[in-house]
Amino acid sequence: MEEQLKKIENEAQQEIAQAESRERLEQLKVKYLGRKSMVTRLFTKIPVLEREEKAKIGKALNLLKQRINFFLEERAKNFEKKEERIDLTFPPEKINRGIKHILACVDENICEIFKNLGFMIVEGREIEDEWHNFTALNIPLEHPSRDVFDTFYLDLPVSDYGGENKGGGKYLLRSHTSPSQIRVMEKRKPPLAVISPGRVYRPDKVDASHSFMFYQIEGFCVDKNINFSHLKGVLFSFAKSFFSEDVKLRFRPHFFPFTEPSAEVDISCMICKGRGCSVCSQSGWVEVLGCGMIHPEVLEACGIDFDRYQGFAFGMGVDRMAMLKYRINDIRLFYENDLRFLEQFYEV
Amino acid sequence: MKFSLDFIKEFIDLDDSSQSIASRLTMAGMEIGDFEQAGGDWIFDAEITTNRYDWLSMIGIAKELAALLGKKAEIKIPRLIKEPALKEIDIIIENKNDCPVYLVRLIKGVKVEESPSWLKQRLVNCGLNAVNNLVDSTNYCMLKWGNPLHAFDFDKIEGNIYVRRAKKGEKFLGLDDKERSLNKNNLVIADEKKVIALAGIMGAKNAEVDENTKNVLLEAAVFSPLAIRCSRRDAVLETESSYRFERKVFFDYLELASAEAADKIISLSKGKFCGYKSKGESVCRERIKISFSLSKLNDYLGIIIPESEVKTILENLEFTITKASQEGIEVEPPSFRMDIQREVDVYEEVVRVYGYEKIPLVLPFIAVEASRGIYEFKKSLRNFLVGLGLKEVITYSITGEKFLEKLNEENVIKIVNPLRQQENALRSTLLPGAIDVVRYNLNQKSGCLRLFEIADIYKKGKDSQGESFREIFSLSLIITDKENRIFYLKGIVEEILKFANVENYAFKEKGQINFTNALEILNNDTVLGFLGRLDKDKKEGFDLKEDLYFTQINLEALCRQKKDKIFVPFSRFPFISRDISMAIEKKKKFLDIEATIKKEAQPYFKKIEILDTYEGKNVPAGFYFLTLRIYYQAGNKTLTSQEVDAVHNKIRDILTKIEGITLR
Repeated sequence: MEEQLKKIENEAQQEIAQAESRERLEQLKVKYLGRKSMVTRLFTKIPVLEREEKAKIGKALNLLKQRINFFLEERAKNFEKKEERIDLTFPPEKINRGIKHILACVDENICEIFKNLGFMIVEGREIEDEWHNFTALNIPLEHPSRDVFDTFYLDLPVSDYGGENKGGGKYLLRSHTSPSQIRVMEKRKPPLAVISPGRVYRPDKVDASHSFMFYQIEGFCVDKNINFSHLKGVLFSFAKSFFSEDVKLRFRPHFFPFTEPSAEVDISCMICKGRGCSVCSQSGWVEVLGCGMIHPEVLEACGIDFDRYQGFAFGMGVDRMAMLKYRINDIRLFYENDLRFLEQFYEV
Repeated sequence: MKFSLDFIKEFIDLDDSSQSIASRLTMAGMEIGDFEQAGGDWIFDAEITTNRYDWLSMIGIAKELAALLGKKAEIKIPRLIKEPALKEIDIIIENKNDCPVYLVRLIKGVKVEESPSWLKQRLVNCGLNAVNNLVDSTNYCMLKWGNPLHAFDFDKIEGNIYVRRAKKGEKFLGLDDKERSLNKNNLVIADEKKVIALAGIMGAKNAEVDENTKNVLLEAAVFSPLAIRCSRRDAVLETESSYRFERKVFFDYLELASAEAADKIISLSKGKFCGYKSKGESVCRERIKISFSLSKLNDYLGIIIPESEVKTILENLEFTITKASQEGIEVEPPSFRMDIQREVDVYEEVVRVYGYEKIPLVLPFIAVEASRGIYEFKKSLRNFLVGLGLKEVITYSITGEKFLEKLNEENVIKIVNPLRQQENALRSTLLPGAIDVVRYNLNQKSGCLRLFEIADIYKKGKDSQGESFREIFSLSLIITDKENRIFYLKGIVEEILKFANVENYAFKEKGQINFTNALEILNNDTVLGFLGRLDKDKKEGFDLKEDLYFTQINLEALCRQKKDKIFVPFSRFPFISRDISMAIEKKKKFLDIEATIKKEAQPYFKKIEILDTYEGKNVPAGFYFLTLRIYYQAGNKTLTSQEVDAVHNKIRDILTKIEGITLR
């Protein structure tokens, strides 16, 4: 009897080990443990056995049953592992991700760099008067220098701001963020270091490089000993941080009514590394911003004594900075808000 | 402006390469965008800044190059012949402010021909067309001296010459063959019967020099820059001539340019000088003296330039050094530099020639008051919204008045001089941008949008500072879907209110124009904004392919009410939940049921969850089924079933007594 059980166990073990499918395993389960199986049949014989035999065989049969079940389960695990394996070359789930607009990102990044240099962020407002947008900035109301600052005028009553001899003039949409700086200088005394980001407006026909609305960041710093070398130092530090460590800057004399001396700043072309390419019109340089020492007339218009204080100012287009950094070739992409554009950026 | 190197070489010896000339000029403030070879000549394309009207002439550029290279420009002064005086006609200047000086030279017996090739070359290489020996002579002298000149066919002029403002509706057919209707903004040159030129801008066809011209009247004048600017803007016509007048032309060269042009015409067309007449007078600017100290100059620039170098630079630029002592230097700018007004202008002259590149890079120590302003608030809100999975959009602040009218907006600020009618007003709500961006993206087959924008809105009306308008920085949430997303939107808004940590926020059902199922967002009594679904008819009217769920929040108000977050201890004891099912009459508000439960469940109330709502089969008409799960928790102990049951049963009792609620 014991031998018979041993034989059954060996046979079962062997057959189960060779089973290659779940169906086969089911068949074997029926074969060895089913109603018509040898094991079941042997169980039915127990009652007729002697008392001692009864206990012994019963125990052995139970053990055998357990063993076969164990073999079955172990073999089944094999299939489970295989069945759990899935095709991992399937694509990942689409993650819904929040995104900052790339212009907002670049705006924040630029402000952050200047904040770290010690500048304070002041936004100001978009509806301004002629005094703050032009006159206080030494821009005569009718002069060719105003052409680049052409402006949208608004149907609001003329502003009486300004106190004596400083009529606020007509209301308009600011054409640069300088008015915010004028407002700071009117209210606070030096030392001042302020950065003003925000939307500005100019009646330009919309094309790949023009928009009637765009973002600008202007900054200024006024104190007793501020000079041109500080302007260069601050802007170089900014350019390194924003573009790259190996960026080169070129300061070219230029003219702005509100600064004297004035400069335009070029960076070494990032695409050709200064060798000359189509982006930089073969010059190796790309214009990025305007700057200069604040014109004494501007300081005086804000009640700051030019004999005691001097300062520098600069301004840049955020759209242009973003276009240069990410090689975006059309300004309209920023305001079209096509998700296929917005979703390309992972900047924070 | 284009200029020819050969032309410049008429006045200065140059052996430098074009490359080095271009870079020297660029680094001194005359940006050379491009330069190219044309035959033996080189053509430079220069950007002339508005302050340097003196660079709008070959002589000006030659002088600049001379100063930069330490050379001298040779300018030959033409003979000034003013006899005989012109008797045939008179000149009448209506207003000296418009035209301080106007002079003419009459040349008779001219033969109009093609110009010699050297002259044509000069003009073409400077970007002008060659016309004939008369016109080309005037253009050559304009390029050389910077003073625009004009040649009239003398025989086409009827009577005296008038410099006056145009009458309203007066017609002008220009040399560009376009007819324009003029008004009092246009300064004109007229004879007794007609307008013969738009002063300083363009001649008229009716007095044009042509192949039959025998006698020519050469005009030279100075017009008010402002008058020319207004006139050319009004006429939408910019020419080489108006470009120069608008930037001021130089009185000193007026006679010289005129005399040389007359000489050129006479020698090229075999004409004879027959008369000169001048009206008005040259207004010569008083020569000014400017004092500065060398140490202030060096302090201003952050560099040390030796005194000798400063003097050399200024002398090369034709400044006269009138005094130089311990106290400082006094200079007199050259007469052609009317842009030099004060010491900082002199500093710029010195440093632009000395070289901006020689100024060192120094970081100043800046210490200003630290502040956390609105910008920082917007930035953190932006980060927060991105964290909620929303995407930021930036749309135009300018929209169409018609668009805003369709949205029933009032107090809209309009643009007086719009580019296009669809961009003639400032938006008084963020909705137009939302509608545009939603329509665009839905049409591009992107759906289920989750967007936001942070931007200002503008309205007429007094603000707190007494201004006649308000500019309010605001937030919009823009959700589109095919399914109802109003509660998702409400959830986002609630998160924002929690982010701002406002104390007593509430949502109140309140009709909102353009919106269905609108809620007002309140904190205490302050309205912070609203949320709702855009009306179906509006949705269809604006051609939106999905429903638009929209919120606008006044961030100014939210920012004002923002409180700092303080940690609140929480209970670590387990909670127990009990479910409750009821039929509710539809007119009953969930908010009231929730409030009742909250009140009765104190102090063990934790939260309520909605397990299920059901309408339909087996539900009595006008009712719906609601199953809630109420969570109970104590702050200081583990609750027993008995304690919870006591409270829960009390709640059941109270709810049963409420009309319109039947427990199930």
